[in-house]
Amino acid sequence: MQAPIIRTEALIKQFGGNRAVNGVSLEVGGGTLHSIIGPNGAGKTTLFNLLTKDFPPTSGRILLYGEDITREPPHAVARRGVGRSYQITSVFQNMTLGQNVWVALYRRERQGFLNFWRHADRDASLREEATEILSRVRLDDRADRLASELSYGDQRLLEIAVTLATKPRVLLLDEPTAGLSHEETESVSRLIAGLKGRYSILMIEHKMDVVMRISDRLSVMHFGSIIAEGTPEEVARDPGVRKAYLGS
Amino acid sequence: MNPRASRRDLLLRAALLAAIAAVSPLLMPAKIAAEILICAIFACATNLLIGYGGLFTFGQGAFYGLGGYAAGFLMARFGLPWPVPLLAGLLMGAVSSAIIGAFCIRRTGIYFIMMTFAFNQMIYYLAYTFRNITGGEDGLAGIKRPPFGLPGMTSLNLDNPTYFYIFVAAIFVVSVLALIRIVESPFGRVLVATRENPRRVASLGFSVSLVQLVAFMISGAFTGLAGALYAMLYWIMPIDAVHWLNSGYIVFTVLIGGTSSMFGPIIGIFIWLQGFFSTLWARWPLLFGAFVVIVVLFLQGGVIELFRRLSALWGRRERAEAS
Repeated sequence: MQAPIIRTEALIKQFGGNRAVNGVSLEVGGGTLHSIIGPNGAGKTTLFNLLTKDFPPTSGRILLYGEDITREPPHAVARRGVGRSYQITSVFQNMTLGQNVWVALYRRERQGFLNFWRHADRDASLREEATEILSRVRLDDRADRLASELSYGDQRLLEIAVTLATKPRVLLLDEPTAGLSHEETESVSRLIAGLKGRYSILMIEHKMDVVMRISDRLSVMHFGSIIAEGTPEEVARDPGVRKAYLGS
Repeated sequence: MNPRASRRDLLLRAALLAAIAAVSPLLMPAKIAAEILICAIFACATNLLIGYGGLFTFGQGAFYGLGGYAAGFLMARFGLPWPVPLLAGLLMGAVSSAIIGAFCIRRTGIYFIMMTFAFNQMIYYLAYTFRNITGGEDGLAGIKRPPFGLPGMTSLNLDNPTYFYIFVAAIFVVSVLALIRIVESPFGRVLVATRENPRRVASLGFSVSLVQLVAFMISGAFTGLAGALYAMLYWIMPIDAVHWLNSGYIVFTVLIGGTSSMFGPIIGIFIWLQGFFSTLWARWPLLFGAFVVIVVLFLQGGVIELFRRLSALWGRRERAEAS
């Protein structure tokens, strides 16, 4: 395995009397698709929120490419190349699809410097690139529609497109197929499988067929801790996992 | 949008603003028209925060008042050239909103609103207390309008109502155009994104608090500029201008007019200030209250939404006739 892209050391998050993340030490290797599975309330999304610094950990360290990012604000982590999609669809509802992608592209191309005077659509190269990125998820024909007019499945695709537009080095996908129909799940998992190798991906997913088919490595979370880790085959054979998670 | 189309759009809106400024004094006394244009700058600046930033501030009166006091103090005590008091009002608005905004944006929702409100009252009582600068509850009197002049031109006495109106109208057109350009710039678009989903904006790599703070400063700068003009309008800066009621009125006018465009607040100000309703009925603020209720219940986009719906209806009919 290559050097780890993300590494956490004994990460803990305490909410009052509840320890949502309990001493998680995790390594995600470069270019791998690493999935996290576990029952509801196991602390998976909380772990993601710690990684993107939506809130600070109670204790422990987070290293990105060997550098300590434990004390950095969320936007600084994003600028280091961590892209994220959310469990609950997180798009800009009252903006067009093109504008949704534009926000991500503009940050990447202009390093976040905000011009006050030029018209936002003056830069033709950004518009063309936005259309190109939308075409990767087959939404380019609706670039001028509002995000709120899209179906739920298409909003999930838009969210992934926006995340890709930041040209992240690491992708954190939080249940990318949640709430999708069978066909939509197929198209999203094909999309993710197509991203493998080009990005290092950490994914939370409940649909076991998707996880088993496309993951390189698997970690199982239960009550805030990682109880098993390995290739999908190894984890599937683990008796502890079968007991805790698969319930058989 | 190609450069030519965006330039044409901007010219079109400049023409519309100029037309508003040109027609207003024909419909009402010039002094009322000037007050409307001044308050329109104030309302548009407030709309940058409310409509585009989703930041419901009830404390804009503080920046309006501070801008007015800064400019008024200079005009009452020193005979400085005309750009100086205006710049003083603008800077005062920008600096004070940077300080107050930095505290307020640390909270969201109702707590944010309460913070803006509390700071507004704090500034009000400061103005009330430091009467040797602000005149306290009597207002800051003795303000002298400086003569207006540009290099290579004989200076004009702004005490002449016509000259003063043109002076205000020019600043109105330039200020609102500047605000329109800002909301359509990359900054404006990211500000709208923070309104839609601040967490997502942060996860894309923008500092949400920085974007909001800059929005506060821009809004405060134009609000302070409007305050400076207001100090010139009646040669006195009344303490009522800093009162939270003034902040509340401006929020209502913005909501009634509509937040989706900078023309919405201008419409709202016309409804609020033109004095038409007051000639119909002495208790016309009751009508204003009814207006707020109607807008909130049936026309959430404000009066400007009415135009939009009518033009959509018109477009549909034209298409139906064409087919």
